[in-house]
Parts: sequence; structure tokens; C-alpha cells
Amino acid sequence: MTSVGGVAGDVPATPPGRATPREPLLRRVGNVFRANEERGWRWSARVAVLLPLVALVFAVTVLALKAWPAIRVNGWYFLYGKNWTYGDSYGATVHTHGVAHAAGAQFGAWPIIAGTLQSSFIAIVVAVPLSIGAAFALTERMPAWISRPLGYAIEILAGIPSVVIGLWGLLTFGPWLAKNIYPALASIASDLPNVEPFNYFRQPVGTGEGLLTAGLVLGMMIIPIITSTTRELFIQVPTLPKEGGEALGMTNWEVANRITLPWVRSGIIGGTVLGLGRALGETIAVVLVGGASLRLAPNIYQPFGTIAATILSQLDGAQADGTGFAVATLAELALVLAVISVGVNLAARAIISRTSRSGGPVGSGA
Amino acid sequence: MSKLMSAPRLRGGMIALAAVGLALSSVVLSTAASASVKLPSSGVEKPPAGTVTETGSTLLYPLFNLWVGGYNTTYPSVTVQTAGTGSGTGISDAENGTIDIGASDAYLAPSVTTASPDLKNIPLAISSQIVTYNVPGVLSHLKLTGKVLSAIYQGTITKWNASQIASLNPGITLPSIPIVTLHRSDSSGDTFLFTQFLSKTDPSGWGAKIAYNTTVPWPAAPGALGETGNSGMVTGCKATPGCIAYVGISYLTQALQAGLGYASLQNAKGQYEVPTAASIAAEAASFVAKTPASGTISLIYGPAATGYPIVNYEYAIVSNKQPSSTTAKGIRSLLEWAINPKLGAATTYLAQVNFQPLPAKVEAQSVKQILGIS
Amino acid sequence: MTVNTSLAGGPSTRRRRVSSVGFRLFTYASLILIIAPAVWILLGVLFHALGHWRWDVLWTPLTAAGGGLRDQILGTLLLMAGVLILAGTIGVLAGIHLSEMAQLKKNGKPSGGLLRTASDILSGFPSIVLGYVGYAALVLYFHWGFSYLAAVIILSVMVVPYIAKTTENSLRQVPTGYREGAEALGMSMGYSLRKVVLKTALPGIVTGLLLALAIAGGETAPLIYTANFANKIPHSVTHASFPYLTYVVFSFYDSSQVSYHYLAYDAALILVVMVLLLLVASRIIVARTQRHAEGARTKTRPPRAPKPAAPDPDPAELVDLPFN
Repeated sequence: MTSVGGVAGDVPATPPGRATPREPLLRRVGNVFRANEERGWRWSARVAVLLPLVALVFAVTVLALKAWPAIRVNGWYFLYGKNWTYGDSYGATVHTHGVAHAAGAQFGAWPIIAGTLQSSFIAIVVAVPLSIGAAFALTERMPAWISRPLGYAIEILAGIPSVVIGLWGLLTFGPWLAKNIYPALASIASDLPNVEPFNYFRQPVGTGEGLLTAGLVLGMMIIPIITSTTRELFIQVPTLPKEGGEALGMTNWEVANRITLPWVRSGIIGGTVLGLGRALGETIAVVLVGGASLRLAPNIYQPFGTIAATILSQLDGAQADGTGFAVATLAELALVLAVISVGVNLAARAIISRTSRSGGPVGSGA
Repeated sequence: MSKLMSAPRLRGGMIALAAVGLALSSVVLSTAASASVKLPSSGVEKPPAGTVTETGSTLLYPLFNLWVGGYNTTYPSVTVQTAGTGSGTGISDAENGTIDIGASDAYLAPSVTTASPDLKNIPLAISSQIVTYNVPGVLSHLKLTGKVLSAIYQGTITKWNASQIASLNPGITLPSIPIVTLHRSDSSGDTFLFTQFLSKTDPSGWGAKIAYNTTVPWPAAPGALGETGNSGMVTGCKATPGCIAYVGISYLTQALQAGLGYASLQNAKGQYEVPTAASIAAEAASFVAKTPASGTISLIYGPAATGYPIVNYEYAIVSNKQPSSTTAKGIRSLLEWAINPKLGAATTYLAQVNFQPLPAKVEAQSVKQILGIS
Repeated sequence: MTVNTSLAGGPSTRRRRVSSVGFRLFTYASLILIIAPAVWILLGVLFHALGHWRWDVLWTPLTAAGGGLRDQILGTLLLMAGVLILAGTIGVLAGIHLSEMAQLKKNGKPSGGLLRTASDILSGFPSIVLGYVGYAALVLYFHWGFSYLAAVIILSVMVVPYIAKTTENSLRQVPTGYREGAEALGMSMGYSLRKVVLKTALPGIVTGLLLALAIAGGETAPLIYTANFANKIPHSVTHASFPYLTYVVFSFYDSSQVSYHYLAYDAALILVVMVLLLLVASRIIVARTQRHAEGARTKTRPPRAPKPAAPDPDPAELVDLPFN
């Protein structure tokens, strides 16, 4: 009996009760690995793909558990109240619904929630038109020696850490805006009628740390995301309809507006929502540039607060409250942010699945 | 396969038993050793090699850095990590056990001492707070009272040439620029001190509406800005003409270099005092008899005739029960060094930050608290 | 496409011409408006950091009076390494599952919808919330204290969905012909996965990993509450605060010590350089492997088809020659 494969040296003797000799130990171990390799891949991949779901459920559970005492006591006031005070933590402890907290502690987070929505709104309003315009510019016939470095520049902007952008916004961009742009805006607004939203843009102009600066900085941070996804989508639009339109005499604006944009509409919405998610959760840049206030911004140039920035800057102080109630309130704030973020994500997926073409892949003629 | 149940297994089991026995005996020995801690004649215990971590008050931070330099010349085997993150962080991290020493200008709240009875605040030095301002053209110390400051921070006084300020400072031309109030956005012992001063001088106004804490809901004064850390207050005030800010006295040199002036405040006896070594010491002296063994007392707006009204003990927030006796010894050694009048509490260190040493009685109480850490 | 920009023609023609010129101007203006801040930031960081740059910032430890950023740089690199190992493994495996193993349901869409949704939601989850969860659960409840371990786990949770998505996309781009050919040759699933599919998708996967490292290295908020900050690299992965660069930028810029201001700018410069290196590395990898990919255009022009040989002269035409 020869051994298949030619392991050098001894062929083991056939043990009694077996028809063929045993294969060498190393080959047997290798066979076990090979036979089970597929099972190994399948099971480890299954475990790996479950982990994000597990992490998500774990995070939401931890938040809900820590926030529960605060939810009981704060109630709905948390969402519409405007007063955020830790109360007299050097005074007596009182109990409401069985939860201990400092006397006079009252947490109304509406100004903070509003600040989050306001800054993200400004970011989207600024970022989306610029990103789409820039994506058009990059996909038109442009010489490679221009479009390649510009593409790199956008990727670099995507990679710059948010703390560096925030510091630049605080030390350079904000003061520059306050000196050059904001006074001009304010003087335009003073010529407009004294109603919302125009009077929101009036004086005082502040020092550059505030809502508008933070909104612009957030917009800068989400532009690369939206630009790159839009650009990828534009590249995938089939050339045949576009060239057909040009052959019929459509101008480039008409081609863009009536052929390209409708084709990629759901993709742009998806990219925008990605950017919105980042803007909602951005913490460090807003802490540096937004001015850290717990109140509604009196006008668009003044300090304000977002949920993420408030959690970061208030967490240490909240722990100085020995009853633990302030920390529970911040956990409730984190839960609200998580709910908003998840809600935005799910809503976008619903919109995309409803508006995307049910046809085949791009170029199949559907 | 029965050959596996043999000598190697048994040997492994015996080694495990021996290890457990050794661990048990070392625990017994160490608890026996730490039963009584005595201060050696040099005043400072010799520390084991390792790391001691400190974080907290930005007011104490510059002094702690100076202390680390001096401490390391005698005991180079110890690494001390310091950070200036705000008194609230110092208290909370000490509570959680994530840091060894928390630095705070504010003593612990009763809710904290009930929740963590092992936590204590140990006075280390006497510091104070200045009220700085950036008013172009004003070179001397403006006279301000607590009630005026309370009105400014509530937004009822909005310009520097308001009658309430002008009447206190005859002979000084005040510009008609708006007042920009700066406050700390992080959880700060300086906020605690300032708001305590406002509460005591304006009990029906500030005291009733806002009271004092390391974070307070600041009223909506026009243009009010939040800054992080004492250094943020100084840089922010420098950049904002018309600003008024409360800053710890360890930043006095920076404030002066930034071109800021500081106010002379009215004390409880009606006198206007500037923070000098004498006025701070006078204020502290009036509270020595009343200071309890725990060190928890406010030195603000005291009865001293020549005392500066915003004065406080700087506290080290430490837990009595440390995870190991080596950690405890490292902490004790550093604190003993810092408090010793010939070492950390000598003028060479304190004068650089304009602090004052503890009165002898309070120092003895602090030493007793330090020896209780184990 | 040229546009006749004269204002001749009827009102609607004029309007169309104006709108098309306006559109082109708008697109170029948008491009400039989004490039300009990027350039401004980079120049600003360069300018501030190079003003006081000392090369020994790279290898001097941080002290109470100043010093360098040696341990902070090393700390960021170690965090990236930990994330690469933990999140890289999990993310790539998850991407493999979503691409290769999800069975097609009856309506033609791949299954795994819930898992993919969860992954997408997690990728948009605010980083401070994850940081707080890490603080409450890992630092406090598990009693790890501020630690390297807690930081790596939280960063990995943040970055796994991104790696999974890029891995899935890269794997989907591998032509099915490769997989079918491998199966036709009798390769087992594991073997074909390793030797054929993953190898082809490797550049895309590696790009995703490098970008994920850039994201992880630039985070601040979750690290503040899981790793705190330290001057030196500690000797243990738990119960010891860990140093990293982004905290330096966040908190040293207005310190009471001027030397710390310079360190903040230096840290910003080092971070930007790290990100640039990662981007350049991923570009090089993509370019390298595309040169060998099927159907790729190489730099040299393809050889021209040889000219057809000149036909033999027709003997009948030789009549015109003079000597004939």
C-alpha cells in the first residue's frame, strides 16, 4: 500500500480492523481544518455580523436603565421645558416618585434639542447645494490635472479630525466671520422687515462663537460625505440619456435638472441623511465653536447648545450631584439623541426604498 | 486516555494551593501593617515607586504642577499625573475611584458625603478669587460690590458707565461700552465661590433665584459667554472689550499680562479690599476657630474688617479606602509633602500662585485626615 | 458642449442661455467654496505648528512644564492597532457574511435585512452616546476604570459597521465568474474564499480598513470618557488612563502654560499628517492593484496593431517606370 501524496519515510502499518493505513498525523490535522473550514468561516461570520446588533441593543438598554429615574421625574417637561438647573445640590435632598434628587432640580431640554435641530438644519442647507454643484463640476469634462487633486482635497477634508476643524473654527474662522461676514449680514437684515426670521439675523454680532458659526463648521464637515456619494452616483448615470438630451438641444442645466438629478434623487437623499446623522452627533466641534449655553440662542450669532455638546461638557459636573439624578438626566438626554439619530436613519431608508427605481441595475434600460 | 490523570495534574493543583495560601497570608500581613500610620520625623512618608493621578480644579492646577516638580527632586521614583479639568471633575472622578486625588475649590455637597461616606475634603492651602475686567482706559482698581455684580450677571446693569458702578467709583471715567459677562461652562469650583459670594451679598436676589453650585443656570445677560477653565476665562476676557470675568488668583500674572484689571470688592464690614497676602490672611484667620475637623466650611464674606471677601480652602478630595496600601501610601506621601510648611507649603511655591499657607490649627487637622487614608 | 452665449434669439432662448451659464458658474463656485476651507485649515495648522516646531516633540515625553508628545503619538498608534485587530477582524467577517452568505429571499433582495439595518444604524450612532455607554458600562460598572481596553472596544464598535460596509462592497465587485470558476475547479468554499475572492477584493478591504483607522484616530469625545488622558503610556490595559493626541488639541490650546499652546498645534499637525499618510497609502494600494486587474488601462499605450504589410507592387503597374 502506497501512501497518496508521498509523505516521506514510513507508511504506518495497517492497524487491525482497518482496511487502509492511517494517514500521518499532520495530514489528519490538516484534513480536519480543510473539512471544517467552511463551517469555521460561516460560524465566525455569523457571530461577527450579529455583533453590531448586539452592541446597538446593549447601548440602548444601558441608556434606558440609567435614564429611567430621570424619565420618571422629569416627565414630558424634559422635552418642552426651557429651564435647566441642577437645583440646590448643597441643600437637602428631596424625593419625587421615589427618586432622590436635589431640591429645585429641574431639567427642561428644549433649548438644547432646538439647538441640535437648528445647527443641523443650517449645516444641511449650506452643504447640500454646494455638494451637488461641486459634484457636477467634478464630473464634467475637466482635465485630470485639475480634477484629481481636487478629489484628493475633498478626501482630505473628510479625514481631518473634528477637533482640528473645531479648533480652527474657534481661533481663525469664527473671528474672521465675526469681523467680515456677520456685520454685513446684520446690516442687510436691519434693512429687512423686523419679523421672524429676518430679525434673527440682526445685531449683536458677537465674537464668532455661536449658532451660525457652528452650523457653517458642521456643514463643512458633512460636505465631503455628500459630495463623494453624489459624485459616485453621477458617474453611474448612463451617458445615453444625457447625450440624447444634448443632441436634442438641451442646455447643460436642463440636462442636469431633468435627466441626471431625477435619476440619482434617492441616492442623494441617502447621502444627505448620512451627513445629517454626522451633524446631529458631532460633539467636539460644537463644544469648541458653539459657545456652550443651555439656553436658546437669542439670535443666530450667539452661543447655543446641542445635545451632544451638552453631554460632553456637563457630564463631570453632573456627577458632583451625589444623588445621581443629574447623571440620569444626562443619560436621558443621550437617549433622546439616540432616538433622533435612529429615527432619522430609519426614515431615510423608508424614503429611499420608496423612491428608488424598482428596475434593474443602472444601464439595464429599466 | 487515562494517562492524563497523573502527576502533572496533581502538581498543578499543589502549586495553585500554595499560591492561594501565599495570597491570603500577604493580605493578612498587609492589613496588619497598615493598622497604625504614623508620621515620620521628616514629616513625609517615603513613597513606593508608582504613579499618583490627580485631576480637578484649574485654580489649584498651576500649584500642583509646581509641587510635582519639587516632590520629584526628592522622590524621583514616583510619577505624578496632573490635569486641570474643573472641580466638578475632580469630585466626580474621586467619587468613582478613577483618579487618586481630586482637586476642588468647593467642599463636598452633603448629598455626595451621604452617597460616598469614605470621601473627604482635605484643605491644602488658602486661595482666593479675583474679578477681572477688560475696560479700555481704566487703569486703577474699580470698586465693586456683590449686589452690583449680581445685577451685572443678571443683566440688569448692561453698560460700564451705569450709575450704580459710577457712583462707587467717582473720579474714574467709565466708557459707555456694553458689559459682556463671562462665566465658566465647565463644572467649576470658581463658579461655586463666585456664586456663593453673590448669594451671600444678595440673598433676596441671586441667593433666592439662583443660589450657588459648581454649575448654575446663568441668567440671560446680553452677550454672555461661556469659557472653559480659568485660562479660557483669561483668554476670553482679553479678546472681548467690556468683559467681566471671575478668575482664580493663581492666574493673576496671566491676567495682568493680558492687560486685564481686577476689582476691589466690598467686604461684610463695608471696606473695599484688593486681594493681597494680608487681606487674604485676615479673612482666613477669622474662620480658623470655626473650621471643623472635616475642613468643610466656606470662607466667603467673613467678618474680618480688613479681609478680602472671596477666599477659600483648596481641597484635595480623597477616599479613605484605597484599593491597595501602596496606593494609599503614595497618596499620603504626596499630600504630606504638599502640606508641610517647610516643603510644599513654603513661600517659594505658594507665592508663585499668590496662595497663602494654612493656619497651624487647620494644618494639623489636615494632617490627621491624611493619616486616615489607607 | 459649447453654449452659444450671445444674447440673440427670443426671450426663452436667452433665459436658457443665462441659466446654463449661471449653472456652470454655480458649479465651479461651489467647487471653490468647498476646497477653500480645506486648504485654509491645512495652511492654518501648518502655519501655527511650524512657527514653533521642534523635532524633539516627537520623542520627548510630556511633562508638567512642557516637553513633547512621544507617548501621545504612541498612544494614538496603539489605539489604531487595537482597533485594526478587533474591529478589522469583526468587520471583515461581517462583510463576508453580508456579501457571500446571505441567501437570496424570494423577492430577489438579499436577506440579512435586520442585521444590515442594525449595522447602518450603528454607523450613524452619535459617538458621544457610545462614549457615555462605554463610560457607564465598561469604566464604571465593570470597574475597568479609564483604560486602553475600554477605549479600543468603544472605538471598534463605532468603526465595525464602516468596515463591514466597505468589505461588502469590495466583495460584491468581485466578478461572479471568479467564484463560479473556482467552484467549477472543485475548490472548497473556504479555499476559494481565501485564495480567489478575498485576494481580489483585498485592495478595497484594505482601503476601508485604513480609512477606518483614520476615523478612529481622530475621535475625541468617546475617548475622553473611556481613556481619560495621561502623560505616559501605562503598563496595564485596565485601571490606567491612556494618552492620545486628540485630547492635546482639545484641551491644551488655552492652557495657562504657553508651551502647551504650541503642543496643541503640534498635535494638530501630527494628526493631519497621520491622516494624509493613511489616505496616500490607500491610494497607492488601489493604484498598484488596479494595474494588475482585469481590463485595467496601463500607463503605456497598448501596442498598435502592426501595419498591414505593403502589398506587392502589381507587375502591370511597373509599366510606368522610366527604364521600362
